[in-house]
Amino acid sequence: MKKTHWLRRLWQKPLVERRLDSELQFHLEQQIADYIAEGMTREEARRRAHMEFGGVERFKEECREARWENHLELFYRDLKSTLRGLRKDPRFTIVAVMALALGIGASTAMFSVLYNALVAPFPYKDQGRLVTMRIRDLDRRGGSEDDGDFRGLLSYRELMEYKQQNRVFDGLIANCEIDVVYDSGANNSYMAANYVTPGTFELYGVAPLIGRGLEPADYEPGAAPVFVLRYATWTDDFGSDPGIVGKTFRLNGVSRTLVGVMPPRFAWGGANLWMPRDPAVTEVIRGEFPQYWGVVAHLKPGVSIEEADADLNVIGNRIAPVIRAESPAHSEDYPQHFRVSAESFVHAVVGAEFRRTLFVLFAAVGLLLVIGCANVANLLLARATTRGKEFAVRAALGASRGRLIRQLLLESLLLAVGGAVFGVLLAWAGIRALSAAMPPFTIPSETVIEMNGWVLLFGIGLAFATVIIFGLFPAFQASRVDLQDALRDSGKGLGGTAAKSRLRNAVIVLEVALSLILLFTASLFMRSFVAIQHVPLGWQPDHIVSGRLPLPRQRYKTGPQLVSFFQPLLQRLKSTPGVELASPVSTTPPYGGFGGTIEIPGKTHFGKWESLIQLVGEDYFSVVRQPLVSGRSFTEAEVSGAQKVAVINQTFQRRFLDDGDPLGRTISLEVLKDVPDAVRDPSFRIVGVAADAMNVGLERPTEPEVWVPYSVTGSVMRRLLVRTDPPPGAMIATVRKAVWAVDPDVAFADGAPLAEWLNTFSYAQPRLGFFLVATFATIGLVLVTLGVYSVIAYATSRRTHEIGIRMALGAARADVLGMILKNGLALLVPGIAVGLLASFAISRAVTTLLWGVSPYDPLTAVAVVFLLLLIGLLACWIPARRATRVDPVTALHCE
Amino acid sequence: MPLEKNDLHRGTLDMLILKIVAAGPLHGYAIAQRLQQISKDYFQVPQGSLYPALHRLEEREWVEAEWKDTSTGREAKFYTLTRKGRKQLEVEVLGWEKLADAVSLILRTAD
Repeated sequence: MKKTHWLRRLWQKPLVERRLDSELQFHLEQQIADYIAEGMTREEARRRAHMEFGGVERFKEECREARWENHLELFYRDLKSTLRGLRKDPRFTIVAVMALALGIGASTAMFSVLYNALVAPFPYKDQGRLVTMRIRDLDRRGGSEDDGDFRGLLSYRELMEYKQQNRVFDGLIANCEIDVVYDSGANNSYMAANYVTPGTFELYGVAPLIGRGLEPADYEPGAAPVFVLRYATWTDDFGSDPGIVGKTFRLNGVSRTLVGVMPPRFAWGGANLWMPRDPAVTEVIRGEFPQYWGVVAHLKPGVSIEEADADLNVIGNRIAPVIRAESPAHSEDYPQHFRVSAESFVHAVVGAEFRRTLFVLFAAVGLLLVIGCANVANLLLARATTRGKEFAVRAALGASRGRLIRQLLLESLLLAVGGAVFGVLLAWAGIRALSAAMPPFTIPSETVIEMNGWVLLFGIGLAFATVIIFGLFPAFQASRVDLQDALRDSGKGLGGTAAKSRLRNAVIVLEVALSLILLFTASLFMRSFVAIQHVPLGWQPDHIVSGRLPLPRQRYKTGPQLVSFFQPLLQRLKSTPGVELASPVSTTPPYGGFGGTIEIPGKTHFGKWESLIQLVGEDYFSVVRQPLVSGRSFTEAEVSGAQKVAVINQTFQRRFLDDGDPLGRTISLEVLKDVPDAVRDPSFRIVGVAADAMNVGLERPTEPEVWVPYSVTGSVMRRLLVRTDPPPGAMIATVRKAVWAVDPDVAFADGAPLAEWLNTFSYAQPRLGFFLVATFATIGLVLVTLGVYSVIAYATSRRTHEIGIRMALGAARADVLGMILKNGLALLVPGIAVGLLASFAISRAVTTLLWGVSPYDPLTAVAVVFLLLLIGLLACWIPARRATRVDPVTALHCE
Repeated sequence: MPLEKNDLHRGTLDMLILKIVAAGPLHGYAIAQRLQQISKDYFQVPQGSLYPALHRLEEREWVEAEWKDTSTGREAKFYTLTRKGRKQLEVEVLGWEKLADAVSLILRTAD
């Protein structure tokens, strides 16, 4: 029986034990047999044999120990010599450990973000089975899945139909955002609230931290008004007072009792507080009832999203004609061709674009991990070649192949462990940095980004696999190679065996290619980011305070009621020191109001004509400093009298009124017929034309836009823009005070400098993408530089002898330099070619994330190729120069 | 293991085992018998202590073991000296002889 391998013995202990038993037993039996043969009785023979042998169990134990002791001793010796070997070559050790650490750290950090933001962003039960509903108009651009153009809110009427008729959900809840003014007696403050339907907390499986949640009785008609509070609001605004539960608060003029505080991560709908409302019960109190609800449903076990889609479409097609016929105001709710779909709740909350950004970042970091591993592999291969002789000598001196493998394995493991330790540190730091850098509102407020154990394990596993595979390569080589041959090869060869150098070169070509992809993508992101920042807005966001005005709906339903609020407010603001001008507005630029259909009398056309409609005061154009190209803005009298006058932008004029002077002509804003406080005859006379400005965000071309006096309807959320003299941040409190002074029931919500808001919403996401990809690309470039350098330096040092001969025979330094650089180019050029082709092939994937730059941008490509070539040649030049400095005599003696 | 008068040092026992095994494949019992015969019962060690030593030598790859049938048809573990073991034996014998020479030289001249 061949000696069992010591590893095998670990799990074959029973067999080993049996063997040990039978070995000792054999001894005793032989001895007994011999004594019996000498004439003893069996009993005596047995006693004597046992006495002479000593304690069987004790020797068994010693046998076991003998083996372990030996392994520990060997291991310790190997460990010491391995550490010595790594210390002797610190450049190799540091580069290998850092390359592994960067790969592990960056990929773990990135994947953790991906996992926490996209897969499990919520603290809710069974979140993968939660869906929300969307209704799309298939005739519009928004037909595609990713486009933001859809209706995600349902009227209470639809809500009830879908809830009762569906066969695919085992739970359906809804929420409705509502602005709340909290009157503490001393002052008013604004809070975002949500109405929630029965079963909400049960569906999410979240229990309150203190107090109780909302119970069925709270939804009954006539029940005492109650609410539950968000954890962050409790800690920030109420000092974590545990005695707060049971107290009464005046919210929107109603006394409500606080019954519970939710745990830290519960933040559904981004609300500060949640109030019970059952649409089925409160439907009777129509009029003040909130109109549209967001839906969250839980799929029944075994039901797929596609099945849910099918079921919802059946219901949609059943109720659409009824709703169209019953209420003309809702006729737009179900267009001619529509599709109802269930969407994963997680996907619905994290926008498609941000999701794509994260995937691109993850791909980038994956490339980095591959580059890192390739680099380490290359270093190990190069090291293996130089050590070929060392191993041959040791094999000749009697080191077994197993021992050599063990030692190489140990070295690889030490590198991997070092990489893993630093990798975890990097991942930890990276996750902290990434959570801080997340653009607001791209991930839900419930999300907590933490290190993901599985991916950490994956990264470490990959690192271990790399070092073990490539680290053991020399061991197999050394044990196969003919000893004589290896001993004779004393470093004069042309860089090791051809096969080995081909493998090394292939790895470098791969590295160069991958790094080019990273660099190219990073450059595209950078150019895109710069382009977005340099978009001419068409107006000036500096020195403007912007905020929302949640007006109590009961008191502000009509245009004249709005005038009674805004006129004194604007008067008061204008006379406030530091304020220049102010204007109400329906959406904050660069978003130009709400969209809707328009008509122009006397013009016929195919398809819908649509325009953005913005509700403003007379000073709007002065506040944002958007110039008028002809005509005039509104007068104060036109605004306060709700005159039907309009200012259009140039795009509107070009698209719909390209036949002569638009001033004085009439347009019909059909959409204003459909709002609750409808305009009966929405014909507006054009008095001015404004210069084009960005009005659908910064990344899309300007759409047609119409400005009309804010007083023409009482519907639609209103905001306030105030141009200030001092920096706007200092004026927020002043504006808030002015608002309260006019109406204590109105709060100035989300007040902030407009430029800051623009920065957060429009630039944060491209900045994050650019910054991270650029970081990864830089790291990748450094790794590639090291890779090219190590390969060329290694090959050059192997040729010192040859270079010496050449120079002794009269070769000029320039010739030698050229020869080595040519070798470098032979690696760089194929790598760059492959990388460029691959970049063009995959840059289509990032097209949607780019703005103002083509994914095949030749300038970017040239710049990146040039950079990589330059750095690559620099990496070759250093060892090349060193080689040419060598004194020929030394080189010839070089061994 | 407390050291008694006729106890063996671990290294010495190892060397003796290697020397005995050098004669050819032997099982533990045979090695014990040879040890006793050659030393004329001089060493008073329990016979069982041979086995931890054998296992230690096997682990160091100085001897290798094989399960084979004995002449009586029973299966036993036979030990053989390896190439490494032979080198080790040479080293140890050399070391031992040097030590013995040095010690006897001191004993003869120090009086």
